[in-house]
Amino acid sequence: MTLKWGYKRAFLRCALLFLAGTTLQLAVGDFDNSFLRYPWGLILAINYCYILILISSLKNKWKWLGQLGDGYACISSLASMIVLTIIFGLTRQDSATEGIVGALGFSRMTSSWGFNLLLFYFTTTLGLAVIDDFRHLRKRRVAAVMSHAAVFIILAASMFGSADKQRVMATLPLDKVVDECVTQSGERVQLPFTMSLREFSMEEYPPKLYILDVQTESSSADFLLVESEGDEAEVDSWKIKAVKSVDMAGRMPDEQEYKPMNHVGAAPAVYVVAEKSATGEHYEGWVSCGSHIFEPSYLFLGKRYAVAMPRREAKRYLSKVVVADDEGMHNFDIEVNHPARIGSWRIYQVGYDTSRGRWSTYSVLECVRDGWYSVIHIALWMLLATGVVMFATAGGRKIANKKARKGDKI
Amino acid sequence: MSWEHLIWFAAAAIIFWVAAAVSAFRSKRVWPTASLTLVGSAIFFAFIIGMWISLERPPMRTMGETRLWYSFFLSLAGAAVFIRWRYKWILSFSTMMSVVFICINLFKPEIHSKSLMPALQSVWFVPHVIVYMFAYAMMGAVTIFALYLWLRPRREASDEELGMCDNLVRIGWAFLTLGMIMGALWAKEAWGDFWTWDPKETWAAATWLSYLLYLHLRPRVSDRNVLFGLLVFSFLLLQMCWYGINYLPSAQGASVHVY
Repeated sequence: MTLKWGYKRAFLRCALLFLAGTTLQLAVGDFDNSFLRYPWGLILAINYCYILILISSLKNKWKWLGQLGDGYACISSLASMIVLTIIFGLTRQDSATEGIVGALGFSRMTSSWGFNLLLFYFTTTLGLAVIDDFRHLRKRRVAAVMSHAAVFIILAASMFGSADKQRVMATLPLDKVVDECVTQSGERVQLPFTMSLREFSMEEYPPKLYILDVQTESSSADFLLVESEGDEAEVDSWKIKAVKSVDMAGRMPDEQEYKPMNHVGAAPAVYVVAEKSATGEHYEGWVSCGSHIFEPSYLFLGKRYAVAMPRREAKRYLSKVVVADDEGMHNFDIEVNHPARIGSWRIYQVGYDTSRGRWSTYSVLECVRDGWYSVIHIALWMLLATGVVMFATAGGRKIANKKARKGDKI
Repeated sequence: MSWEHLIWFAAAAIIFWVAAAVSAFRSKRVWPTASLTLVGSAIFFAFIIGMWISLERPPMRTMGETRLWYSFFLSLAGAAVFIRWRYKWILSFSTMMSVVFICINLFKPEIHSKSLMPALQSVWFVPHVIVYMFAYAMMGAVTIFALYLWLRPRREASDEELGMCDNLVRIGWAFLTLGMIMGALWAKEAWGDFWTWDPKETWAAATWLSYLLYLHLRPRVSDRNVLFGLLVFSFLLLQMCWYGINYLPSAQGASVHVY
């Protein structure tokens, strides 16, 4: 098998682009996208599309322009993107600048010149294919045309809109008005609205009881999930039974018993009976994971083992937040997967005071501004529809097959 | 339903799948064979539903749980391809691969906890995983078929056989696309970004691009070695994306897709 000259030329173009990227990387450092901030990103995006149309119209006049979007360019840019994505996947993204990997920018792939130049070339090739598709629209190519167009919009909007994205974090103490956020680099940013946390609530999974090896500080793989009183399980040859379970309990320092308690800091407590039939051992007592007020309690099974309850896992947590802007006050229930939306901002539930768990007195929210959201969102749904069309129409057409002979050119 | 019941459901399902695989070669009628394999799939699906009910969450969180879906969708993909294109060999392949993944689950059972972290409690969770598992199953089937065509002695792959590969890749790629887009829409709702180049996403992109290269190379390239080699290579990328990143040093502690 030998490679046609068209492929050689196209791959050489990719190699030269990568070489140019590497040179720029070594000379000026990481690719800085701040020049794409609004309105420049939008202006450049419109001009970029215009230039693509221009290239497509002039390709018959100047042959070399046509080579930017022909089949060879398509294959070579696609193959180059695969190679770079594999390098991306194999390299730890830790912003390291030492060594050859760091110097070439592979450890910061999305900011490296080589990656961005080749992605830009790939998008350009794709854009020219889209224009070509629309000029020669055929019904049987609907899925291909739609997917080309959707991927082009997603890539172009991601590139030209990359500098317009803003991510800031806010810690909201209960009933305090917050109008400032902090960026990842620690910079303070004034928000166009204020937020105040009215209530933070959390739903937790039932407690789990493990057998803890005190010597090795390891816990059993199996556990007893205490959903109701009377639940039992065999864990590491111990039969553990939850005789009594209190969801919100507390124990005074001079007392042995856990009692129900409806107060900040209350913790789950389970009265456990543990038996080992092989040795006839029998232990019983209270086990609790404790809280920021109460110490945890263990049931010791001899000297080496103990029944322990780790902190309960969060099932869902919710912040009731009041957001105020020029248009007035808005009440939002914000939880994971359910962000609040205010203008081009979205407010996400990120965290809480993990040392206090359900009794947390603050909520951590992240505010994200993404002006290009709608464009990418529409293109993603377009691509989703394309996937369905492609599945429905698969098998409907045949690709012309040629038998390969030794020495054939591809 | 618990993990211990898997062996019984799997045994019953495998009996039907094997019977269907044999029937595909012996009988000329499609529907008796298809019914046999679909009954096997239904039995296996009953186990998955049982697990779903007893765990009180979709069984899609752990690697073992995704393998259950993989086995199920392999059988379903096999049946769909058989019904649509009447490929006799597909049921043997899908059965063999389903059995391999069931065996892994039987010999390496995992502790199945009921908890599901808040980020996974999304409307996108179930379709995202199901669609990806179906795509993986399709790509698994096409890889084995490609290897068979590539390595069999004497006879080169015919145009029809290569056409079968194209159809399977096209369906698999369509599902890879659906899974990726659903993941992006979900990520935006959960974390505020459509795409973050998390190691899993990077390898998913590499896999998606590699199969896309195959689809674009097909009308241009006639060399079977290049085409089959690319299919096998793409499937290796898919393995890296599915579970390889759990062992990859560059991905340790850097992915939200750890399970």
